[in-house]
Amino acid sequence: MRSFGRQCRGQAKIFVKLVRHTETRLLEVGSAIAHLAQEAQQTLDQAPHLSASTQERLGSELSIATQRHHRISKQSRRLTQGRRLSHCKIVNAYDPTIAPILKGKSNCPAQFGRKPGILSEPTAGFIFAAHAPLGNPSDASYVLPLLDNVQNAIERLRGPKRPSIQSLAGDLGVNDPTLRQALHARGILTVGIPETPWPINPKPSPEEILAALNEAGLNRKRTPHQVQLACACGYSRPVVESHIACLLSRGAGQIRYKGPQGAVVQLGMTVMAHNGAALIRVRQQRLSKRAQKFRRLLGLRGRNINQINDPKN
Amino acid sequence: MRLIRHLQHWLGGSGPGLRVADVVPKTNSIRQWSDTFPWAEMVEAIEKSVARRFPKRCARGRRPVPTRVLLALELLKHEVGASDEAICERLRTDVAVMYACGLETVQLDSPQDHFVLPETLAQFRSRLDEALIDELLAIQAAAAMDEGLVSPAHLIVDTFPAEQGSQRVTDATTLYKAQKKSSSSSRTSPSKASRKRRR
Repeated sequence: MRSFGRQCRGQAKIFVKLVRHTETRLLEVGSAIAHLAQEAQQTLDQAPHLSASTQERLGSELSIATQRHHRISKQSRRLTQGRRLSHCKIVNAYDPTIAPILKGKSNCPAQFGRKPGILSEPTAGFIFAAHAPLGNPSDASYVLPLLDNVQNAIERLRGPKRPSIQSLAGDLGVNDPTLRQALHARGILTVGIPETPWPINPKPSPEEILAALNEAGLNRKRTPHQVQLACACGYSRPVVESHIACLLSRGAGQIRYKGPQGAVVQLGMTVMAHNGAALIRVRQQRLSKRAQKFRRLLGLRGRNINQINDPKN
Repeated sequence: MRLIRHLQHWLGGSGPGLRVADVVPKTNSIRQWSDTFPWAEMVEAIEKSVARRFPKRCARGRRPVPTRVLLALELLKHEVGASDEAICERLRTDVAVMYACGLETVQLDSPQDHFVLPETLAQFRSRLDEALIDELLAIQAAAAMDEGLVSPAHLIVDTFPAEQGSQRVTDATTLYKAQKKSSSSSRTSPSKASRKRRR
């Protein structure tokens, strides 16, 4: 038995084992609740024999039941310090407003961290742009500032033929309809951003490709080959985790410089150092088979290091 | 006190010069890493930005430590995972670090003291802002695209958590502070003694 709760609200004695056992059962029972609630709502809407007041009452009860499970499942998925909580996910069954957080002290990390965002290319892991905003905004809000930075880099190129951003892949966090519209307006395909938790189809059929192009309104701007590459890129989106791991190994996981400016400087320097290492790998062709294939499809051929180009005389 | 004015006694010298590029092999990892950066453009961008935001009031004083050296040290720090003190220490002895910092020749009879202090790196960092960092990243990306090494055609976006770390006091920090304290006390003690003698 343990005491939980805030001092101001009064502490309560909790049987911890009972709470953990209840939580597991509740999650099991409620795993199908989202699907069932959706069906119940549809049935309720198509029930003409019920009066309006009854429909309203039943609808509100249904939404309350759904929210209760949502709250429990949300707590169970909560991460602290990047790790899933191993136990005691429901901190207090009688006070759902108390949620597990990671508390820090003046000499101890993690109370106030940051959430940097990166925009990388999927072959060698070169990071084109990085952004460390204040607070913890939604993932979708990172995308346009990052794309603006990439556009600035493209505009610095001197040659007449400048490359363009063809597609963007991301996780469910960037699945935002407004963002999709903004990306389509810029001529960027969004087939790499999933709408469901299931993986993206890496080999879409011609009909699916046509549908994706029509949906984005980019029929004349993007080709089916580009859609295929975008789907493959979206399917292999988890490769970005290895880029993040590289950054973390260079110390980006812990901000040691002071304040927001310090976080920006540290992240920027880490990303540039990482990019240097990525370019060495590209020059020496030390890339994975997947990356080599993707580079071939993009028309990025590496130099043949075995070939002697120096003149003999 | 402006530290930059006291740091450049190592760059001069009269003895035989050692050509750094001849000593560091081409396969050295730091040399290869250093060769990927468009240093000239990056240094130009920093100098322009700093000159705009922190205009010089007078042209007097010793010339500052080159921006190229400070930028390379800051980047190397993240590449090799070193602290400010450690990377400044390596600059004195490691020829590959000298190559990365753009030093072409080194005088062999130089006193081998610090010519970049860790405080100078901190001062340099405080002059960098978000717009400048974005510009530096854009310059690096543009150079890589120009060379045909990378393409922005298909991109992936993601975020990751970074916790706020505390500046830990390491053995190196303690040693550095102790050495600095002892050297400053030894410098001041003869002058104090001479004053006493005069009295």
